[in-house]
Amino acid sequence: MKELTAEDASLLELVDRLLNKGVVLAGEATISVAGIDLIYLGLNVVLAAVETIDKAQERRAS
Amino acid sequence: MTLLAHAIAASPPATLSHEGLRGRPLAWSEAGDLGLWSTEWAPDIKLERPDALEHHRLIERICAAQPCLPVRFGTAFATSDDARASLDKRAAALRAALARVAGKSELALTLLWRELPGPVPIESAAGPGRQYMEARRAEFAGREARRARAESLVDRVIVELAIDRQLVWHETCTSDNVAVSLAVLVPTERAAERKAELEQIAAGFPDVIPVLNGPWPPYTFARTE
Repeated sequence: MKELTAEDASLLELVDRLLNKGVVLAGEATISVAGIDLIYLGLNVVLAAVETIDKAQERRAS
Repeated sequence: MTLLAHAIAASPPATLSHEGLRGRPLAWSEAGDLGLWSTEWAPDIKLERPDALEHHRLIERICAAQPCLPVRFGTAFATSDDARASLDKRAAALRAALARVAGKSELALTLLWRELPGPVPIESAAGPGRQYMEARRAEFAGREARRARAESLVDRVIVELAIDRQLVWHETCTSDNVAVSLAVLVPTERAAERKAELEQIAAGFPDVIPVLNGPWPPYTFARTE
């Protein structure tokens, strides 16, 4: 198990907010997300958020 | 062209530089007394991690100029009309959320366990089935004890900070390392003072390492659902 540093925790908290918090509007366009770049240290919540975005994009594209 | 959304604000829009993400034009789509700040984007451009952080800096810039609601990163609209229609659909809830966060910022406190859980000692004379069950039981008890301790830390923060619970959001034990992830909504002009108070409170917890961030735009408190 990797130990989380204070810097890791700060970045993860911010990325979590960008991907999971804030107003959710029904976007209607397709934007590509390079998901792997958003995954940092594999915190579950961030991984889940990236997956959510990817799936949403796939749904819109289909 | 696509619009990559950043923040919702009341009209009229504040005077901002016209530079959005990656130097592309920043646009304002107005719907009644609300509007959406977004970057004119091209759907074939992939969003990368630096774009997420730049989205954050853009929201900070917008929030510094006028009260705003951060929009979740990656939200995009095909046209300005689509963006306006989306605001119109939820105008009342968005106005209420905007009033709730106006003049306020978010402080983020993460408490990391100083020691991670180690292997559970099991009586070696026991059979494999019993050893398995004992290990499971000890793991469960350990998890529950940690969760209870994390919740008690949250309670102490709320009491010692003397803040309304409605202005605090938290989660506990989201991973093996994290005891508490907590956000507090504070008046922007008192953010530095409240941050110092939070730091002092968290420094009194012997079993966790406090990581304090912000003031940030009010991401956690901008929800309308």
